[in-house]
Amino acid sequence: MPLAPLPSAGYNSLVPPVSQTIRVTVLFFGRLKELTGQAEHSIEFSDVTTIEQLFARYAARHPELAKYRSSVVASRNQEFAAWDTPLRSGDEVAFLPPVSGG
Amino acid sequence: MATLPHDDIYQLLREPIDMAALASHVRAPEDGAIVTFDGFVRNQSHNRPTLYLDYEAYESMALAKMREIGNQLHEKYSIHRVAMVHRLGRLEISETSVFIAVSAPHRAAAFDACRFAIDTLKRTVPIWKKEYFEDGAVWADGELPPALAATPRAKPAS
Repeated sequence: MPLAPLPSAGYNSLVPPVSQTIRVTVLFFGRLKELTGQAEHSIEFSDVTTIEQLFARYAARHPELAKYRSSVVASRNQEFAAWDTPLRSGDEVAFLPPVSGG
Repeated sequence: MATLPHDDIYQLLREPIDMAALASHVRAPEDGAIVTFDGFVRNQSHNRPTLYLDYEAYESMALAKMREIGNQLHEKYSIHRVAMVHRLGRLEISETSVFIAVSAPHRAAAFDACRFAIDTLKRTVPIWKKEYFEDGAVWADGELPPALAATPRAKPAS
């Protein structure tokens, strides 16, 4: 027998859209990859709106990251991006140490 | 490899770079000059003997940035074709890590474009090298990509 809908089923529709969760893929390279111990990470959140806040989230987990903040450049969807760039679900964000190709 | 306007080549490779094949690719009867840049692994860094280097890249973005440099070359200089290849992974002393070939009807444009290409690649393409020594390894001092001119900077906290 199918379960009757819960009385609270309509509750979520009352939650303002501002708390919607979004999912982004985060990439770390070079020494940042070594510091965080991961090259790629998928993260879901509802309280982060910019690249800066996303970096702060990781820096809280890996305090050594904060030391590199001034020398790190960020990208969003393979394009260099300012720290105040807003994030959208499905974005690919990367934190890039100073580049040294050639 | 995606087909590109101008018949250029942009690649990241994990095997040795075939420089002769790339130079020959950009060579055409209407050209009069090819300038090439061959960047290879030096045996020391700040007077410390280097054992080998290990390169890594943000591959999708690196290729996009290399193509962007190519587009700039075609806009700025009277050139014909570009080949730009960077190698990844472990490289031994004297192995070529980056190779650029530019063909043009006249030499000045080829020289200028090749110089602009390697200088811009070193500043803007997300590739990193780790230097291995007898007593350890370090990430090479890198360059910060230029300020994000097109994107407004965050306002300082007031």
